[in-house]
Amino acid sequence: METTPGTGDENANRSGEAPETVAQPGTATDETSVTEEGTELERSIGLTGGLSIGIGTMIGAGIFVFPGLAAGRAGPAAAGSFAIGAFIALLVALPASELATAMPKSGGGYYFISRALGALPGAIVGISIWLGLVFATAFYLVGFGNYAAAVLAEAGVSLGGASVVVPLALVFGVLLTGLNLFGTENAAKLQNYVVGLLLTILVLFLGYGGLDALGVFGSASTPERFMPFGPLPMFTTAALVFTSYLGFAQVATVAGDIKQPGRNLPLAMIGSVLIVGILYVATIFVATSAFGSIALSNFGETAIVEVARAFVGRFGAVAILLTGLLATISSANASILSTSRAVFAVSKDAILPRVASRMNLKYGTPHVALAMGGGPTLALVALGEVEVLAEVASFLHLVMYGLICVALVAIRRNEPAWYDPDFRVPVYPLVAVPGAIASFGLIAFMQPASQIIGVAIMLAAAGWYKYYARDVSLKGVL
Amino acid sequence: MSDDLTIREPPKILVPIQVLEGQTLPETLVEFLAPASVVVLGYHVLPEQTPTEQASMQFEERAQTAVDDIAYAFHEAGREVETRVAFTHDRDQTVARVAADVGATATLLPNPVGEIDDLLVAVRGAIDIDRLADLVSTLVGSNDRRVTVWGVAPSDSEFDAEAGVAAARETLLDRGVAAHRITTEVSASARPVADIVGRTDEFDVIVMGESDESLSSLLFGDETERVAEGAIAPVLVVRKRSDRSTSG
Repeated sequence: METTPGTGDENANRSGEAPETVAQPGTATDETSVTEEGTELERSIGLTGGLSIGIGTMIGAGIFVFPGLAAGRAGPAAAGSFAIGAFIALLVALPASELATAMPKSGGGYYFISRALGALPGAIVGISIWLGLVFATAFYLVGFGNYAAAVLAEAGVSLGGASVVVPLALVFGVLLTGLNLFGTENAAKLQNYVVGLLLTILVLFLGYGGLDALGVFGSASTPERFMPFGPLPMFTTAALVFTSYLGFAQVATVAGDIKQPGRNLPLAMIGSVLIVGILYVATIFVATSAFGSIALSNFGETAIVEVARAFVGRFGAVAILLTGLLATISSANASILSTSRAVFAVSKDAILPRVASRMNLKYGTPHVALAMGGGPTLALVALGEVEVLAEVASFLHLVMYGLICVALVAIRRNEPAWYDPDFRVPVYPLVAVPGAIASFGLIAFMQPASQIIGVAIMLAAAGWYKYYARDVSLKGVL
Repeated sequence: MSDDLTIREPPKILVPIQVLEGQTLPETLVEFLAPASVVVLGYHVLPEQTPTEQASMQFEERAQTAVDDIAYAFHEAGREVETRVAFTHDRDQTVARVAADVGATATLLPNPVGEIDDLLVAVRGAIDIDRLADLVSTLVGSNDRRVTVWGVAPSDSEFDAEAGVAAARETLLDRGVAAHRITTEVSASARPVADIVGRTDEFDVIVMGESDESLSSLLFGDETERVAEGAIAPVLVVRKRSDRSTSG
């Protein structure tokens, strides 16, 4: 496996490291993958675990951060923005599912793209997605900070008027990274319970709110004009809130650990998009019916708390505040874990130095990769710009999503011998082509600042590849 | 070795070892197990934030070497063993999968041990007596090892501990274990598992059956695991036959 540094070997990076094959996809069974030396790698995440990764990553943002921001931009049509997001996410989730069942390996989207389209697009996506996840984590942490600050305010704790959002987000960012570095307790079960609890509370809340909005209790609320600002804001808002749909691809980053990947990967990816999509649209509908979009917008990131207060009083507000804390922290944590997996996948292929995939035996954790996620995240949290963070995260993910669709088309038009997915997208061109167009198209509706940052990151990734790893070839290398 | 004639199902023992944690098998235990066929499973448990691929990239060779060392110890004792290496997030899942895969009749939960002279066979519920006897008689062999068959069950239990112990003794005699080496005891106990753990310091190796899925195992974890955690001696857990569902 090891190559001598500096020999100018083909297919090696500047430090002489070659991409490492750990397990051939052909060896994957329902329960293990097997390495070349015959070591078995146990698959231990079931369907519940997969759904909980997908939903747990996504739900924090769409319900607990965006309703106020989105309603302020698009009015009640914000519900349409979330529906557009769900539709695009589904168009991508289908091709991603097919590719993941053919290549059930750590790395997800990066892996498919590098194998189907080659090392340069792979490197751009791999590095972009690492940083995209860093932006997403920072965004979830700032969302958490807003909730934590609101909890303090609710409890009557005054901190001299200074904003505590960013400091709280920073403290928890450090705490979560630390937990993942040193925590050897398995938190997966806990995450499943947290997601179950979140779903229960939300269904109760939305059920009550929905009946209320339809006039079952008291009088029906007066409908606002659906698109007070015209149709364009619905699309720009869809671009903003697309961050709420970044979780389904995270299921593919743990594909190597999923049991019965042929069945569970598609179910977990498509299922989590459908579940959160329905919840998001229902939330916006209930929230805009309760308050009207202008009032909602004025409540900012924690608007949903005021909606709960209007329905059930202080108890409702406190319940939703605590739920929001849980949801944003579970999203942040899931993203930190995905970041570390993204870094590992790229470093395994010698596009980043191999040292990034080192782990320490004492804690058994990938400390370098976790630090490469946690460090930049904290720097971004300090900026505290929720909308830019969200959009850059979306931008970088959308590039990957579009390329996943392109990868499917490329691979299906000329199927390699090893390509044997358990799940095949029916009439794939009708899914993958609109999926690619929609993913790239959504980018056009973003703020210029986010577009500039996104393009700069991609160019930097391409530059890094040219400098460090231009001899690495990955196309069709399994 | 003439005893082998009466063995119906040659026992196969799965020996899971946490190789990267420096766990090893005492030499006396290697010699004790060598008459049976043995599968050594070197495993390493990872926290969920670490992909198994990532761990295998860095530690596969080390794990393989450690397992090969254990296989060599068995080789010295005259037994060629099968080896497996696994990286996992869930030890129990891996051990259960490999046990079913290789058709193991018993799984070892290793603990330190010195000379092995006294075996405790704890019978605390319906157990596959043939499998148990095949295992114990193969391991005891023609040595002077003593076997204590102990029936331990709550007094209000449906399980007739007395009859279970008698049947186990009969079957051991059939398999060629000399009568003077078998002692039998029966106790009523409200907490069989705790009582078995309490006596592990009197014996060198414990043999017991797998637990049924029960409410208490859901609440407190698998009973055999609780024994293994509390036990001072190595524990051999006799597995249920996997074809039981088709026959009954």
